[in-house]
Amino acid sequence: MNGPLIVQSDKTLLLEVDHEQADDCRRAIAPFAELERAPEHIHTYRVTPLGLWNARAAGHDAEQVVDALVQYSRYPVPHALLVDIAETMDRYGRLTLTKHPAHGLVLTTTDRPVLEEILRSKRVIPLVGARIDPDSVAVHPSERGQIKQTLLKLGWPAEDLAGYVDGEAHPIELREDGWALRAYQKQAVENFWHGGSGVVVLPCGAGKTLVGAGSMAQAKSTTLILVTNTVSARQWKHELVKRTSLTEDEIGEYSGTRKEIRPVTIATYQVLTTKRKGIYPHLELFDSRDWGLIVYDEVHLLPAPVFKFTADLQARRRLGLTATLVREDGRESDVFSLIGPKRFDAPWKEIEAQGYIAPADCVEVRVNLTDSERLAYATAETEEKYRFCATTATKRKVTEALVRRFAGQQILVIGQYIDQLDELGEHLNAPVIKGETSNAQREKLFDAFREGEISVLVVSKVANFSIDLPEATVAIQVSGTFGSRQEEAQRLGRVLRPKADGHQAHFYSVVARDTIDQDFAAHRQRFLAEQGYAYRIVDADEMLAEGA
Amino acid sequence: MSTEDRPAPRSLAEALRVRDDDSLAALLRSRPDLITPVPTDLTQLATRAGTRASVLRALERLDRFALQTAEALAVAADPATYDDLLALMAGDARDPAVAAALPRALATLREQALVWGGEDRLRLVRTARELLAPSPQHPSPTGLGPTVQEATAGMSPGRIQEIVTTAGLPTTHDSVSAVTALAALFSDRERMAALLDEAPEESRAVLARLVWGPPYGQVTPDPAAHLRWLLDRGLLLPTAPGTVVLPREVALHLRGGHAHREPEAVPPVVEATATHRPAMVDATAAGQAYTALATIEDLLKDWDEGGPTVLRAGGLSVRDLKRTAVALDVPEPVAAFWVELAYAAGLLASDGDADERYAATPAYDEWLERPAAERWARLAETWLTATRTSGLIGGRDAKDRALSALGPGLDRSAAPEVRHRVLTLLAGLPEGAAPAAESVLARLRWERPLRVPQREDDLRSRLARWTLSEAELLGVTGRGALSAQGRALLGTPVVKAPKESEPSGPGDKLPVHHHRPSLPREPLSPPEQAVASTAAARLLAPLLPEPLDHVLLQADLTAVAPGPLQRPLADMLSVLADVESKGGATVYRFTPASVRRALDAGRAASDLHDFLGAHSRTPVPQPLAYLIDDVARKHGHLRVGAASAYVRCDDDTLLNEILADKRGSALGLRRLAPTVLAAQADPTALLDGLRAMGYAPAAESAEGDVLITRALAHRTPPRTAPEPVPDGPPTPDATLLSAAIRAIRAGDLAATAPRKPAAAASGEPAGTSGDLPRTSSAETLATVQAAVLTGEALWIGYVNAEGAASQRVIAPIRVEGGFVTAYDHTADEVRTYPLHRITGVAELADD
Repeated sequence: MNGPLIVQSDKTLLLEVDHEQADDCRRAIAPFAELERAPEHIHTYRVTPLGLWNARAAGHDAEQVVDALVQYSRYPVPHALLVDIAETMDRYGRLTLTKHPAHGLVLTTTDRPVLEEILRSKRVIPLVGARIDPDSVAVHPSERGQIKQTLLKLGWPAEDLAGYVDGEAHPIELREDGWALRAYQKQAVENFWHGGSGVVVLPCGAGKTLVGAGSMAQAKSTTLILVTNTVSARQWKHELVKRTSLTEDEIGEYSGTRKEIRPVTIATYQVLTTKRKGIYPHLELFDSRDWGLIVYDEVHLLPAPVFKFTADLQARRRLGLTATLVREDGRESDVFSLIGPKRFDAPWKEIEAQGYIAPADCVEVRVNLTDSERLAYATAETEEKYRFCATTATKRKVTEALVRRFAGQQILVIGQYIDQLDELGEHLNAPVIKGETSNAQREKLFDAFREGEISVLVVSKVANFSIDLPEATVAIQVSGTFGSRQEEAQRLGRVLRPKADGHQAHFYSVVARDTIDQDFAAHRQRFLAEQGYAYRIVDADEMLAEGA
Repeated sequence: MSTEDRPAPRSLAEALRVRDDDSLAALLRSRPDLITPVPTDLTQLATRAGTRASVLRALERLDRFALQTAEALAVAADPATYDDLLALMAGDARDPAVAAALPRALATLREQALVWGGEDRLRLVRTARELLAPSPQHPSPTGLGPTVQEATAGMSPGRIQEIVTTAGLPTTHDSVSAVTALAALFSDRERMAALLDEAPEESRAVLARLVWGPPYGQVTPDPAAHLRWLLDRGLLLPTAPGTVVLPREVALHLRGGHAHREPEAVPPVVEATATHRPAMVDATAAGQAYTALATIEDLLKDWDEGGPTVLRAGGLSVRDLKRTAVALDVPEPVAAFWVELAYAAGLLASDGDADERYAATPAYDEWLERPAAERWARLAETWLTATRTSGLIGGRDAKDRALSALGPGLDRSAAPEVRHRVLTLLAGLPEGAAPAAESVLARLRWERPLRVPQREDDLRSRLARWTLSEAELLGVTGRGALSAQGRALLGTPVVKAPKESEPSGPGDKLPVHHHRPSLPREPLSPPEQAVASTAAARLLAPLLPEPLDHVLLQADLTAVAPGPLQRPLADMLSVLADVESKGGATVYRFTPASVRRALDAGRAASDLHDFLGAHSRTPVPQPLAYLIDDVARKHGHLRVGAASAYVRCDDDTLLNEILADKRGSALGLRRLAPTVLAAQADPTALLDGLRAMGYAPAAESAEGDVLITRALAHRTPPRTAPEPVPDGPPTPDATLLSAAIRAIRAGDLAATAPRKPAAAASGEPAGTSGDLPRTSSAETLATVQAAVLTGEALWIGYVNAEGAASQRVIAPIRVEGGFVTAYDHTADEVRTYPLHRITGVAELADD
């Protein structure tokens, strides 16, 4: 016994990456264990019920899981843990949702007491109809999503075998001229299509849009794509026109400004969740066409109302795309039950190693508050404290020094507070993109940035998601949305796009020492450190001294 | 038993007399209660072997088939022949398995002195017969009713003749021969079959319902025709108004001669459900053994600084157990198991202080110094032999008191024997085979059945279940199969697995050949156990992981120890970082708080850097080094101390003067700042001291104002004024008065009631009032019993528990178990008096 894996009593798995069997082991445990941390030497995977059910959904059984653990484990695996794994996995598939020719949607069990147990639950009663025979019960077709969600909460996840409607056919082909889907993208599309519905987890910059395009080419049907904002919608449209046989006219945009419904429609979460007089007026979009595929971009940001609509769309194929399944609101289980299980994921470092995303140097610059700022910070109201320390004047000096150091490269300065950004824009003599900047103006500035006409761009959090700035090599973060981990991941993603010259990317986070800014930064960075992007910490004074 | 030439024994004592020494020794070994104290002769031994308590104890220790055999003998004729018994056990069909097993069962019963007499005259000891024979109050497990003869006792001769005639037998001149003829008919399979052929369908259904018991049924005063048909032929006999019984002979006919529905001649086989590689089993068990040691250490480390307090009733509170479970990250029952194990091993105990707390014992520190394998062997041995049973924790005892961990009431004397037996059963399987818990339980239930079947989870079954789960926790078993070290613990040499999985155990007594060294049936003696434990430790030692001297440091501020760490390293790391996950490896996380903790413990930042550098296989990540420096930079920046008073003065030369003055040394002055001195003396003493030195200080309030000194009048905390103490008792109120009068009158009645003169035998006549009557105990009992019947009041002399004598007038209600329950006129309530405390009784003279 000298395997690369150590099984912990809290059901985490530690994988020694430098071990010769590490790759085999990772492949063996990836189907059921969620990669939680991937720092340099030892990766931590976690075995959760969701992960085990994901594995069951993908066709693995308990024996394979146990074998993988026992085979690669360095120390004997506690018997209790193996028993627990087998029992948990055994819970999946006791209940199945199928389509019955006479009764419509039917919940069937292979284990009668389980059915009895769940039918006694108050939350299940309103979702089911008549008992058909001792082993099956009718389910209202409209409650297909609800019941899956509820059963998962009860710990008896149902296997959905009720199938999908094909939707309205529409020819879509990938146009692979001068480029091709990367191996992992192909694998992701294949896994998704085979599984029917589910989520593909890929790092920022690893080409999630292409996985979406590939899936559409598989489905060859009308598609509804849900994205976070208008800029991202345009980006999708641009990519689809470039990479597939679709033309501009076949792709509609459904946003605050335009309401086009075409064979392929890209809608923003915002417009869908707009509520007027207590109703969601744009919900009819879901029924406006016979969609064959629904793509959810950035699943980890899916707003709660969209979950509710999605519950009603269980008969259509659903593809979720995300960089991380971590949700700040902890609704991972809803993603599992409503969109589908995880169908594919690849760790960031692995894709980086394949050269598809740029290596990055992450640096945290600690600045000291001046004495008068410290006093003011100490007396500030609690809710003002973060704003106060995040916008300290010293940060401006550091930012200027960094911009000077990387003069000639494409630099993004990202921040949270508009006046701070305006001030920075003024001092750096760079344009500022913020909430009030019009879309036309934004696209114009982005184009100029891409062309290299301007080399420094100051952006607020509007640029957090889904805009493609391929040539940004340096990002300087001066403030953020408190301790949001996924925001940090998104921002790092800005500089991880592969560089034409193989240049190293730099990500700087400027943080005020001994304040809650530092605490938030620690929280934000933990996610990236766990992804293998460790920060170096430097003192602003030293850095300024070097620069001088 | 050799009964060759000697005349057949006429009593158990005679039967014992002819037994040889070995066979007597076997009896005494299995029934040790017979030699405490050692009987004077065999007659006394036979008498003792026939006492109810002893017979009960012996019956409870029989295996199921031997018990069934005894039950069958109890429903057979007395004495019975071997053939009778065989018919009852094996049925008319003579089931070969039963027939093969019967001699062994009978031999067991004989050995236990429950059965004596030759093959032609088998006699069950009378007490056993009484205990096992069916009666309306205690139905037999056989489900059989009384015989025809018993059931017809008290029936009118006319009715008996009627039944005999209806059953198709000739009338006889007396009831005895009629009953015999009827019983003979019922026992004759052919004639009986012919009789039952005529029975209406419904009647047969009634019989089918009663045949396997309970044999009693209810009938209305005017039974339906099909019932009447049965009653008329004596196939059902009335026992009480409205109740009928199926006579034993009829039931046996219907059962095909079987006394039991399922004679269980062969012990259930302990089946293996899974077979693992023995090496894997041993390794898994060793891993668990290592966890066991780590858990015990964690537990006691957690209690290092003041463990939980001891409850007043003894034991650990539910809340403390919960807290411990959280700290160990295990479910509560498991936490209870570890706590109890540490206690039983003498590693923790109550400290016996006024405010009692649990803490590790000095033995724990010695234990810690031992090699890991020996530490484990000590725990395993403790577990195997302990009578304390942690599985009971959280339940309630017979008096409905909660059973708490480390508390009283957890000892179960059967526990060591059950544990040993369960492990022996596991040892009987091939190496690496894990049995299903249910098959182990079924086997145990067969070996030691309950005479009266209970709910499924009797104590032994529960103990067995706990044994299986605890053995896994402790690493005696691995993946459900007994490990090599577990086998060694039982004192059995490791045997290469034979192919067949035929069980051992009481099967030893079966006439089946064994080619396996038999396992010790009984738990080992302490010296044997010590040898076995050492052997187990030797087997375990090479399987335990070697402690490591390095960790892997990572940039996400974690350190991973990919295995157990050497103790000094582990101790230091647990101060410097927080443990995030435990198991085969340990994950530590460095946080500002944990680094500060290390600095507080007196380490300097450079020590920490050196420590990490020395023990890390990989370079120390920059963020970690930065974290340590960053925390160290701030550490100790603010200083906190205690002072009782301060001296403040704008003129620092004056303060210099005070500091320099030798007279001020008692005030404990220290300069904190140019214009501030801190003093250890309190403000008043400081003021006085400074004044004595010739200064004129002014006191300052907390807000910094000058205090105007004015003598403060001293006050007590709020107090109530004392209550007046009157001379003599207070005037009684009406209730008190009436109660007092009643008591006086009752006492008066006792003292003055005219009594009949006591019996002449008791000596002096109890003439004068006030004398305590003295009577012999027999007389006392007779008098009191008579008074119960007549309902008369008695005058008694009584000595209470403190030895004070008194006289009372009582009206006895009942006498039983050495106690008189009576209405006490003196106390005006019903009380119970032990008879032996009554010094004498006298009847009250009739008024």
